[in-house]
Amino acid sequence: MTVVTQDGSFDRVADAGAASPSLAERLDRLTGVARVLAAFLAALVLFGLVMMLKGVNPLTAYVDMVSSTFSSWDSVGDILVRSTPIMLAGLAVTVPARAGLINVGGEGQLIIGAVTAYGMSMMVDGRLAGGLTLVLMVIAAALGGAVWSGLAAVLKQVVGISESVTTLLMNYIALDLMYFLIYDRWKDTAGSGQPTTEALPISERLPLVGLGRLHGGIFLAIGATVLISIVFAVTTWGFRLKVVGGNTEAARRSGLKVGLLLLSAMAVGGALAGIGGLTQLAGAEFKLRPGFVAGYGYIGFLASWLGRHRPVYVVLSAALLSTIVVGGDSLQIDSGLPAASVNVLMALLLLMVFGFGRKKVTA
Amino acid sequence: MSLVSEVLTGGIRGGTSINYAALGESVSERGGVINLGTEGSMLCGALAAYAVAAESGNLWLGVAAGAVAGGLLSLVHAYFVLSRGANQLATGLVVLFLGLGLTSMFGVDYVQALAPTFKPIDLPILGSIPLIGPIMFDQDALVYVSYVLVPVLWWVIYRSRWGVLLRAAGERSEVLTANGIGVLRIQYIAVVVGGMMAGVGGAHLSIAYTKAWFENMVQGRGFVAVAVVMFAARQPFKVAAGAYLFGSALALSPALQSRGYGINQFALDAVPYVVTLLALILLGRRRANETPEGLSKVFDAPTVA
Amino acid sequence: MKIRRLGMLAAAVALIAAACSSNTTDNESAASDEPAATTTPGATAGTGAAAPAGDAPGVGAAKVGFIFVGPKDDFGYNQAAFAGSEAVAAAHPDIEVITAENVPEDDNATRVMQKMVDDGAKIIFATSYGHLDPALKIAADNPDVVVVQQGNVITGTIPPNAGTYFGTVYEPVYLAGMAAGSVTESNKLGFIYAFPIPQTIANINAFELGAQSVNPDAETYVVNTSNWCDPAKQAEAASSLIAQGVDVLTQHQDCTATITKAAEEAGVMVIGYHADASALAPEGWVTGSEWDWAALYNDIVDTALAGEFTGSKYNANFRVGYKDGANPFVQSAYGPMVTDETQQEIADELELISSTGSPFAGPVTAQDGTLLFEDGEVPVYDEIESRNSAFVEGVIGEIPQG
Repeated sequence: MTVVTQDGSFDRVADAGAASPSLAERLDRLTGVARVLAAFLAALVLFGLVMMLKGVNPLTAYVDMVSSTFSSWDSVGDILVRSTPIMLAGLAVTVPARAGLINVGGEGQLIIGAVTAYGMSMMVDGRLAGGLTLVLMVIAAALGGAVWSGLAAVLKQVVGISESVTTLLMNYIALDLMYFLIYDRWKDTAGSGQPTTEALPISERLPLVGLGRLHGGIFLAIGATVLISIVFAVTTWGFRLKVVGGNTEAARRSGLKVGLLLLSAMAVGGALAGIGGLTQLAGAEFKLRPGFVAGYGYIGFLASWLGRHRPVYVVLSAALLSTIVVGGDSLQIDSGLPAASVNVLMALLLLMVFGFGRKKVTA
Repeated sequence: MSLVSEVLTGGIRGGTSINYAALGESVSERGGVINLGTEGSMLCGALAAYAVAAESGNLWLGVAAGAVAGGLLSLVHAYFVLSRGANQLATGLVVLFLGLGLTSMFGVDYVQALAPTFKPIDLPILGSIPLIGPIMFDQDALVYVSYVLVPVLWWVIYRSRWGVLLRAAGERSEVLTANGIGVLRIQYIAVVVGGMMAGVGGAHLSIAYTKAWFENMVQGRGFVAVAVVMFAARQPFKVAAGAYLFGSALALSPALQSRGYGINQFALDAVPYVVTLLALILLGRRRANETPEGLSKVFDAPTVA
Repeated sequence: MKIRRLGMLAAAVALIAAACSSNTTDNESAASDEPAATTTPGATAGTGAAAPAGDAPGVGAAKVGFIFVGPKDDFGYNQAAFAGSEAVAAAHPDIEVITAENVPEDDNATRVMQKMVDDGAKIIFATSYGHLDPALKIAADNPDVVVVQQGNVITGTIPPNAGTYFGTVYEPVYLAGMAAGSVTESNKLGFIYAFPIPQTIANINAFELGAQSVNPDAETYVVNTSNWCDPAKQAEAASSLIAQGVDVLTQHQDCTATITKAAEEAGVMVIGYHADASALAPEGWVTGSEWDWAALYNDIVDTALAGEFTGSKYNANFRVGYKDGANPFVQSAYGPMVTDETQQEIADELELISSTGSPFAGPVTAQDGTLLFEDGEVPVYDEIESRNSAFVEGVIGEIPQG
């Protein structure tokens, strides 16, 4: 059946990492890239047609989009601000995916990470130096995200419920938990009645790095990418995850502690998303508020699929999707289209790549 | 009206759009395809129903348009999943973004439009049944249609030939293939029918419940529908019960507030999800075994070789 | 594995912390432990550095930017603000007005406004209550740009290039309350609101006080939706209130169609908010309040263009009401059920509020019996929102606790 077996194919190229790829593999990779580019182009053409239906000249719109999105280094900074939590949310899908797990819970794990980090800041309550508090907040965010996602791995092992179901459900619980707190116990009573927390003290914020509003969270995202890539490539843990992901039963028979491996993969994923939540909290928003990271977890999920679960590609995909979303500002300001129009462009692009970016796999 | 009957009435009224969408998603999942784009189908249904009702003045034409629009969006999902081999969960999310974007692009012209809307009809005889009457039988026509749809769908799934084929497509597709029956066609039908029902759910939202169209007006109720299906293990009667449970949780807050009690809505909002999670844990293995094999393959499919 | 990774991350954080400037450009910095940060807006990010020194903010603007939290055709708040932006465009043919709708009340708003600035906008209107934090970030990063925010209040130091403005919404709402109190038969009025912000609490109180002034038995039942525009929640709130016997319904929401239509369909009367929605309720429309932003928006733009923004009345938390003769929040047309006598009473009250009166002329008693405004007191505009910290007697409902 075609539905379920499509996923096994695309890492053939990555497998060749150790040995030097044969000519055939090189060609395959090349046509792969060409196919993806063709899919991008098709999406742009399709969205151009949609824009024409709305009476907008697609060429002008695209030119405006590119020129205004990259108008200055600071606007590149803004794109990276937007990308940072999505990159980490993407990696949060990538690590479990290596072990064959589907983490749909990035959204909830981002929120829980931010909530636990904020809770840590409240607990410390200014009694430690800001930098130290920030480090504690990073750890709290990672632990919060790890516990939240780890629960899904435990339930899979113990009760046999699919992790994609539990992680999805727990997204809503995380969101309601945050809303409960910011409407109630954590609400800024000195604020103006809006349901937000107080802002983090300046000393507990991620510092700016000198590119517009870009904050230090980007280094956490890049650091995590490098680290995960290395871990995947050289550590036994990384190798074992892949074995489990390839054939769980065989892995079990060969004596691997499958349960522990699945749990650790999921927990590391959750920790990454948790840190992603922290970067948004301590780098951009400073407060928990309604709509905090809304949709970022799902876009991260799509970034992981777009990047075919390879860390560097995933992070680049996250940056690409964020760039498109930021480019959406131009669609409405310069071209007068509704704000949500950019979702159509993003969706068409992803559909084209998912559907036509590689040869159709049949069982 | 007593608090209980008011909350239950509101639960049915507000739960109906979720009910339609979740019933549709059950059909899709019975066929082995999960559709996270349900929210998108609801949005398309809500806009198409409102626009057509406004243009034509005919409510049922609006409902039909809602079904068609919801079905068309789910056809996109079906094509990429079934014919192009794309991942179901990722594609579903993409389809959701597509629906959200398209409806806000093309819905702008209808925010200000005036459309006719479904009104509550107090059913004779049934409406005078004590307790149940005012709760269940003073609702709009689309609610009544959903009452009929639930048992019909149950019959179709468990008793009809098509239901056998549907379940086989989701669970034991190799048997169908061996018998020369096209699995693909059945799955296509399941996904598109599921999207059509979600579209009707959206129609209920726009031309019955809220009497308006605004972009992104579904506000996560499509995701709720997906959760309801998990809660209900794809069984129509349980789906309806789950949808009304969610609806009642949403109706409790205004009912309490209008009686002078303040309440934090979000503790209530989380209850149905926690209940669903607990139910899955308690009934875990049994539920897991009931999951259509095709679907459990989706959930458990290795994502990286 | 994880321990080691966390250790590395922690080290990375510490490294970055040592190397970089602090992240301070927002509302709270004024009240924080590093007050010095706010006295040098623009120092933390590069965008502002390009401004020629000595230039007053807003001067020479080729573009004016507006951001809205919702769609600009929502039969309500955002539509009214959009109409105002069109009035600015009409009055300034040489200036390009750029708009962005559905801008969330979070950090995305910062980016959208910055794009407008990068595109040449030197005057920015951030029109939603929750846009304040991002608006202040933009003001701090771009000292040559005037950033005004609609409806919220800047606490602490007000930057030289920022301000808030609003109409005194509670004044026409008080007058609408009088109409509601005179037409109700059940003496139960319903008020659906979004968030318990001071502005909204003042509105609810004014509505009830207005109703009481003509009908001492009138009570106002309140329900919140925790969302500026979730039509399904609005529908359920309307149903709950109507089930309680409410026969006049009003609201403080951004999009208003659902509640207006729900009232009309249930045969109860309705009082509008933000925009004239009488077409949606031909039977039950009593009256309402609606925005007419044109004059105020244009005056803010002209003040900024003239280089006079800093130190002007708009470089503050500016509130304009009947006493100034130019409240941008005006009364809507009356429905047939409002008698000539009531209309005359309302006209007389409008006269009074415009001179020596106030909707909150004391004594005003809160639900718990404490005095919000003393006997004989006529509060000034600056104090009214902040002192409406509780519902008044006659309002049925609790403010969600913070």
